[in-house]
Amino acid sequence: MKSNNNIIESDKFSFWYGNIRALKEIDIQIEKNKITAIIGPSGCGKSTLIRSFNRMNDVYENAIYGGRITFKGINIFDKKTEITDLRKCVGMIFQKPNPFPMSLWENIAYGPKTHGIHEKSHLDEIVERSIKLAALWDEVENRLGESALGLSGGQQQRLCIARALSIEPEVLLLDEPTSALDPIATGKIENLIIELKNKYTIAIVTHNMQQAARISDYTAFLYLGELVEFGPTRDIFERPKEKLTERYITGRFG
Amino acid sequence: MEKFHNELKSLKRDILEMGDFALGMLIESMDAFKNLDMQFAEEVHSKKDKIMELETILEQRTLELMLKYQPMAKDLRTLACIFTALVHITRIGRYSKDIANILLKELKDKQQHMKKLITLSSMIENVESMIRDVLTAFDTKDLRILEGFSERDDIVDEQRMEIFRECLTYMMEDSKNIPFCIAYIMVARYLERCGDHACRIAEKIHYMVEGRIIEVR
Repeated sequence: MKSNNNIIESDKFSFWYGNIRALKEIDIQIEKNKITAIIGPSGCGKSTLIRSFNRMNDVYENAIYGGRITFKGINIFDKKTEITDLRKCVGMIFQKPNPFPMSLWENIAYGPKTHGIHEKSHLDEIVERSIKLAALWDEVENRLGESALGLSGGQQQRLCIARALSIEPEVLLLDEPTSALDPIATGKIENLIIELKNKYTIAIVTHNMQQAARISDYTAFLYLGELVEFGPTRDIFERPKEKLTERYITGRFG
Repeated sequence: MEKFHNELKSLKRDILEMGDFALGMLIESMDAFKNLDMQFAEEVHSKKDKIMELETILEQRTLELMLKYQPMAKDLRTLACIFTALVHITRIGRYSKDIANILLKELKDKQQHMKKLITLSSMIENVESMIRDVLTAFDTKDLRILEGFSERDDIVDEQRMEIFRECLTYMMEDSKNIPFCIAYIMVARYLERCGDHACRIAEKIHYMVEGRIIEVR
């Protein structure tokens, strides 16, 4: 959506894995303090797109970019942009919870420590605030010294969100954050995501259209690397403009 | 999803059948009324249970499809349309029963009408064609069929008032006319309501086809 409130914008952004073009001239805007969902069939490029927002795709040797993506008006592919600074501002949560094999406390304190905070009382404060923000505190406040691997899947995922929040990012990117969780844990994460949009901006990739419909303000539909339709979530799921969108969300595909 | 689309198709077919059934009841009730045919009126009256049963069954099937498949876009809009249409179709069936009831309760010993039923006959033709068009539009998604629906409803409304005014003078002329005139006024009222129900369904068909919410007056 064209707005002055956009925190991330892409302008004819293309992406190639070597010879394979994964994204074709994507123009998308991520609005501040909103939840933007990205949907589409497997292989449509939705994860590639969200991973481009904090340059996660740089790890691929033959990754080639075209066009541009700006974060708060600054081109993230500019040589002057420090990737670590970008990733501090744009955090990411993955499909499978991936806590470090350390205590809960250390999981959260790890990021702030690498950013130069060492005072115990300050770190305690950050740990408590982050875990509270992730709506996990009541369940783990007496277990902060225990291994994070002892938590349930849903708790682990909220711990990962708390870890991402510990360095006070502005944007959270979530790549299918609930696809490995049961409906109750999924519900908790969804409520958390809706809570978090007051303070953060969220972009979420999801296979679950009902989830996109439940939590997002805007929805983008990607197909074969192209942005087919992008608009208010209600419109996309109730009266999509594009035939292709309609065929996908009504299951008339193939 | 193919299973869902087959189930949806079969539900739509059954809704159309129910619509035909309700419309049939309305036409029959008016035939019985025009001919003062008590036996025929009894028959129409006894069909009310069937319409109530259809409403319950089809409502359950609609809910079941929503529950099982959580449809989106035009499928969601189709189910929303069906949900509303069901209520209105049922009402048309019940008004038909009410018309039969007037005949059976108020006019049971009458041999012939006190006057020629010219406006009433034209009114049932108009309402019948409105309901028929709504069912066709639901089936074909052709919104052109529904063009001018508001104007058609205006004519039905006007006819109802015409009957009311005409009957008022008859009743003032001679109080013996009152039973017939009350019956005519009530039947006209029910037909006008059936026209309104057709309009409400027409609105939902617009929503189903285009996703727009419009008002058919």
